[in-house]
Amino acid sequence: MIVSHKIRKQMEDTGWIRRMFEEGINMKKLYGEENIYDFSLGNPDVEPPEQLKQSLIDTLTHPTAGMHRYMQNSGYEDVRGEIADYLKDYYGLPFTSQHVYMTAGCAGGLNILLKSMLNKEDEVIIPKPYFMEFKYYVESHGGVIKLVDTKEDFQLDIEAIEKAITPKTRAILINSPNNPTGVIYGEKTLRELADLLYAHRRDGKKIYVISDDAYKKLFYENLQPPNIFSIYDLVISVTSHSKDLALPGERIGYIAVSPEVKDVDMLISALMFSSRALGFVNATALFQRVVGKFQKNSVDIMEYQEKRDILYNALVDAGFQCTKPMGAFYIFPKSPIDNELEFVKLLQEKERILVVPGRGFGKEGYFRIAYCVPVKKIIGALDGFRRIGKEFIKKE
Amino acid sequence: MVISKKISESMKSSSWIRAMFDEGEKLKKQYGMEHVFDFTLGNPITEPPEELKKELIKIVSSEMKGMHRYMSNSGYEEVREEIAQYHSGKTGIPFTKDHIIMTVGSAGGINVVLKSLLDPGDEVIVPCPYFVEFRFYIENHGGVMRLVDTKEDFQLDVDKIKRAINKNTKVIIINSPHNPTGVIYKRDDLEELAAVLLERKKKGQRIFVISDEAYRKIIYDGIEFPGMFQIYEDTVTITSHSKDLALPGERIGYIAISPLIKNAKNLINATIFSNRILGFINAPAIMQRLVAGFQKNSVDILDYQKKRDAIYDILVDAGYEVIKPGGAFYIFPKSPVRDDIKFVRKLQGHHILAVPGIGFGKQGYFRLAYCVEMDSIERSRPYFKEALNI
Repeated sequence: MIVSHKIRKQMEDTGWIRRMFEEGINMKKLYGEENIYDFSLGNPDVEPPEQLKQSLIDTLTHPTAGMHRYMQNSGYEDVRGEIADYLKDYYGLPFTSQHVYMTAGCAGGLNILLKSMLNKEDEVIIPKPYFMEFKYYVESHGGVIKLVDTKEDFQLDIEAIEKAITPKTRAILINSPNNPTGVIYGEKTLRELADLLYAHRRDGKKIYVISDDAYKKLFYENLQPPNIFSIYDLVISVTSHSKDLALPGERIGYIAVSPEVKDVDMLISALMFSSRALGFVNATALFQRVVGKFQKNSVDIMEYQEKRDILYNALVDAGFQCTKPMGAFYIFPKSPIDNELEFVKLLQEKERILVVPGRGFGKEGYFRIAYCVPVKKIIGALDGFRRIGKEFIKKE
Repeated sequence: MVISKKISESMKSSSWIRAMFDEGEKLKKQYGMEHVFDFTLGNPITEPPEELKKELIKIVSSEMKGMHRYMSNSGYEEVREEIAQYHSGKTGIPFTKDHIIMTVGSAGGINVVLKSLLDPGDEVIVPCPYFVEFRFYIENHGGVMRLVDTKEDFQLDVDKIKRAINKNTKVIIINSPHNPTGVIYKRDDLEELAAVLLERKKKGQRIFVISDEAYRKIIYDGIEFPGMFQIYEDTVTITSHSKDLALPGERIGYIAISPLIKNAKNLINATIFSNRILGFINAPAIMQRLVAGFQKNSVDILDYQKKRDAIYDILVDAGYEVIKPGGAFYIFPKSPVRDDIKFVRKLQGHHILAVPGIGFGKQGYFRLAYCVEMDSIERSRPYFKEALNI
């Protein structure tokens, strides 16, 4: 056999999002793109801000010598400085360029961070439902994931987390606003989490919080995610400009290490080593230069909010049980029939609506709708949701 | 400690590189940049070709929708198609877009392939001297590196490779034109190597050749590069546009999987999967579009050749023992004393910065990267001479 056993095994039990995506391509060929309602992918149909596009052109029409060469593995000093200034403002902590490390998006950032931190068999606690790729990221670097259920409303269950902590716990990996639920973890719960981790600190155990902040700027109404850096000290945030600047294909993001982390120099050196060893070397030069100036920008959140409202209201009307998303562009309703895989197939066959089964996020009995699609697609799919709701949801 | 024990160990074992780098920086501050001859870094001063720069502006100025969005993890179809055609034309082997996976440079590509191939304990043969990062790439994915010495002239020693092969051998990584020696492996040796591997295959053991071709277009004196695809079936090549198009900071390259590999589809799927789960997801979108049309282009090779001639002449003239490089932009002279670190320190005393051979697994040599200004090479002449006066 050519392929490694581990990869073969991992490939077998994965790929729900991908499978739906492939299915979507087939259906689009069969029925025509306009007749398919594809909510399977978190690939927003938005364009980067006009000023960013202009800045990209300006950067290239005023070239500087060496602008496509290698730089320090951590990225351009001035860009990291710009980002640190923004972080200082945003979180109210003394970030400097030495706390910022440029990465190939969030996925790249998490991988070099986990490689830098994990000893063999160190455990990483992950609240579920969760973005399944986390499992591979952790396993790639010798770690073990410990999944912990969240509460009914997908908020953190601190007691469950407490029970999952062992001497091998190295970090807890949270993602808020959350993929796939759209939930933002509340400040009170995060404070309880911090208390729990501080209690372990007194027993000599350092547990880090790794915060995947890819959707940080995508929150609705006044639901800004709590300042995790002020709540706990050992925080490392990993973020990306895939969503807020709509640059997913370019792979650009950064790691921000809390100024409260004592060994920051050592961690940055380790990140440099890991990004070389894993083959990233550095984040793509051109987009580093561009994103520094756009830290405060974001895509139009009102547009997403409108989509969320239309979809959420229609789903509730149709009788679906779902938690109202506070951010990101996902909603995670309960499946009207226990086996959500069957339901997902029914949606697909009867209504040509593509969603991802909850087991693709470690949570059976639910399904994920990614509503980062044109609003007319959402409106077009509402009747389908209503029809299938009428058929399968039992009125009490 | 915030970092893992393994990383901490790896970092300690390479701390001397940092120490030398720091000393070099001190020298530059003390005497001024122009009075220090820095031959340590493979970060060419060369700029990308003018047409490429123009094309890049054209791409970012276009009104195309979705050009910064995710695409398939393997990269844009039309880009892969174009690269496949280039490979078919060159090799006569029917490459299709499926055989090409766009990657974050060579380093990204090699990691992806090794992750796809290696089970814990699998062995990877690497001819020595070698690019030390290979060790980390292999160990990342549970593999074990087996170094095999090359001959006096840094060409492959196929007998030694044959003896190093055992039942755990899964891969051999070759890199030609070679870092740090600048050597191009000879066709005869590669054919002999293929014969050895085929023998194993007949007994049911498949050994893959990963050919790191980052310097493939930087070849001198009209030497014809012996392409591995035509020599051995189970071959995967790794290409980067860091050197030939001078885009190292942009991280763009690709994996080409031989269509002659039996069940190539499995390997293709695994590499696409590994590209995703290692966190690369896909190669940077804009750069993919950019390089598609430049497969036949490269920076000015004659310029590098002149530099090669100059540095070679300086070294021979001064009395160093050295193999003339056939490609890349490195030269690997013998250190006049066995202790190469000591000699590199001595060179520093004469304002020359080099990397000791031990940094490439080969004591008693040192590496010079001559991808610097010609003027700097020429002015270094007397200093190389002085350093030899022991």
